[in-house]
Amino acid sequence: MAKRKLIGCVALLLLCFLVAGCWDRRELQDRNFVLAVAIDMADDGLKLGIDPKEALKVREEETFVQPDGRKRYRLSLQLLKFSSGEAGKDEAKTYAISNTGESFFEMVRDMLGQSSKSLWFEHLQVIIISEAVLRQTGLAEIVDFFKRDSEMRSRIKVYVTPGTARSLIEYQPPSKEAGGMFLADLIRLHSRNNHIAGARTDLGYTVQYLDLRSNVLLPRIEIADKVVKLGGSAVFKKDKFIGYVDGYAIAGLKFMYGTEESAIVATECPDHPGHQMAFELFRDDTKLIPHVEGDTIYFTVDINMYGNLGEIQGDISQDDTLDPQYIHRLEIAFAEEIKQNVLYADRVFRKEMQVDTISRFAGKLKAYEPETWAKVQDQWDEIYPMIPIIISVNVTIQKVGSHK
Amino acid sequence: MMANLEAKSYMTPWQLAIVVFVTCVGAQILLSPRSLIADAEHGAGISVVIGGVLFYSATCLMLVLAKKYPDETIVEYAPRIFGKIGGTLVVIWFNMLFFLQVIQIFYGMGKIITFYMFDRTPPEVVILALLAVCAYCAVQDWGTIMRIQQFMFFVAYSILILVWLTSILNLQPENLLPLWPVNIKAVVGGGLSTWNMYAGYECVLLLMPLVYRQVSLGSLIKIMGASFGCLIVLFLLVIVIIIGVLTVDGAKNLLYPALIVIRSVELPGTFIERLENYLLIAWIPVVFDTLAAMMFFMGEICMRHWRQADHRPWVLFLVPIIYVGSILLDNQQVYEMANKFTMWLGLAFSFIAVPLSLSLSWWQKRKAGTGCG
Repeated sequence: MAKRKLIGCVALLLLCFLVAGCWDRRELQDRNFVLAVAIDMADDGLKLGIDPKEALKVREEETFVQPDGRKRYRLSLQLLKFSSGEAGKDEAKTYAISNTGESFFEMVRDMLGQSSKSLWFEHLQVIIISEAVLRQTGLAEIVDFFKRDSEMRSRIKVYVTPGTARSLIEYQPPSKEAGGMFLADLIRLHSRNNHIAGARTDLGYTVQYLDLRSNVLLPRIEIADKVVKLGGSAVFKKDKFIGYVDGYAIAGLKFMYGTEESAIVATECPDHPGHQMAFELFRDDTKLIPHVEGDTIYFTVDINMYGNLGEIQGDISQDDTLDPQYIHRLEIAFAEEIKQNVLYADRVFRKEMQVDTISRFAGKLKAYEPETWAKVQDQWDEIYPMIPIIISVNVTIQKVGSHK
Repeated sequence: MMANLEAKSYMTPWQLAIVVFVTCVGAQILLSPRSLIADAEHGAGISVVIGGVLFYSATCLMLVLAKKYPDETIVEYAPRIFGKIGGTLVVIWFNMLFFLQVIQIFYGMGKIITFYMFDRTPPEVVILALLAVCAYCAVQDWGTIMRIQQFMFFVAYSILILVWLTSILNLQPENLLPLWPVNIKAVVGGGLSTWNMYAGYECVLLLMPLVYRQVSLGSLIKIMGASFGCLIVLFLLVIVIIIGVLTVDGAKNLLYPALIVIRSVELPGTFIERLENYLLIAWIPVVFDTLAAMMFFMGEICMRHWRQADHRPWVLFLVPIIYVGSILLDNQQVYEMANKFTMWLGLAFSFIAVPLSLSLSWWQKRKAGTGCG
């Protein structure tokens, strides 16, 4: 009996070696936190129009021997500095390392040759892809590594830049935040800035749309003379980059899809031409509805907006904002402006680019008219630009602020 | 000598309902949704309801059968119904259902935990550790296991459901459309394939002797209906949220869509991130109690079949076999093949073996009655 107990105890002790969890031990001080990733063409420096000082060229000391393929991409990682430096010194919180190659995973592993600690992607905030890369490669190929790895989060922000992506992760924000956090936070308030396409543009949704073979929108980011600006959007047909749209088109699209939570609509005062007034949206009720009559498909967009009169420029003594007639005239002017904005977005996306962004129209037809969708789904790309869209906008001003 | 207080000679019908619920809900809530959604698409929710009704009916048949043989389990009365060889085959079949489920659950759990939590640890080690814990629980008497199941029912499940419900934040009701028309054939097929989710209800054939004195068959059937009602609601919650967040086509492309759903949740204004880890932490005890119960049932079946007094040596004997079995499922294709095989084996047991047993037992009793008269 005693012998059996002893054997049992020894077996339990031996089991402790296997199951104590030390296998996955990675101490905090042994990790290098990757905050941002930049993806450029490896030889961007060879392109015309790029400052030679900022040119990206394949440097032997940065890269590795690659028997197959070519040095196609440059992957740059922004790492968090753990040491705070000397007191009072204006030191950057992050630094960047890069590598060139074709497989992102291989580049990451080879970068361990430049890093004293393992590279840790759990806190990755943002992935920035340069337009040059997307002109040559589909978005699906670029994000594949990030969607597979278990360290990546779904809510990582993905941006596209017309310049070099590396210059953005080398940017040190004047607020002294870590660069990756700053870049990711730029989009955080997208619901209050209708010039930014921020809803459903992160890694999780991008992968989801690519899986569904939907058209993707990603925010555009640019840096010039130490000014970083997020605005407008890069447009993809399936995973192929086809161009950019401006912030005004994005605003129109958000009005059409009802994805804005707050927005400012500025237009000219109907009573005082040349003077601006602004409407602040608080709440909206937008309905994008497909209709099928025989062989005809059309959509109606009913936009009802409720909000505040936020600004009236000009001589306010001539206007009485408590006068319902005056307010009604303003409501009509704002509604007209919103309608023009939606029509502009419709022209840009549907007529010019012929892109059903995030397959919103196709999704509505599939959800509400599945039998019609089954008939037209194979020709949807051709049918979509021809479909009539009827837009109606109604604006209600509920408050005029604290001044008459 | 002190009496073994954990050796249970009775349990209440509500305890049986909890045991059925807890045994049925295991690893498959994370492992099964992909294949079900791929088959039944937008009708996956309807498949879950069809499956629930179907397997509830099977459970009722089992209860009727078990009630005919009070104080006996299927291990004792199967040889009387089917003869010695036939009965042994039915008992092996019955035990194989638990064995095949257990090895698949160990395999799936090892995969998920090593991918999402311990990426450097080999799955074999995770399986070994969990096997040791489950075996420790399974060598206890039924009273202990039942108390653990009751505890888990109130604690682990409430946490699991609470964490899971946070994914409603990302739900897009439009992704659930169209609700109709659905591919009827695929939805019915999906209903059958939900066996993997509901499997475990077969335990009533072993536990009925502990319950039958407490309640009439009619009440037991009603109480079991409550258990299946809860199962249907839970599985619907899983399937509907997966489709609502990822869409049907999105879910098809993911190995474990439920984990991707919860991974996408961002709780605004909180420091809580990577909710899949919280879900997994609540899921591990849920799987543990299913595995421990199933291992106990396997040991109990062997014990009763060989007419022994103690199930513990059998549990310990089965441990290496379960381990090797789960290691042999070395890739997703083999796993899916084993999954399909187990499903058909389980469906055949519920809808062929049990009704056949019931018919034969009626026939035999009628024959015996005629003989007497």
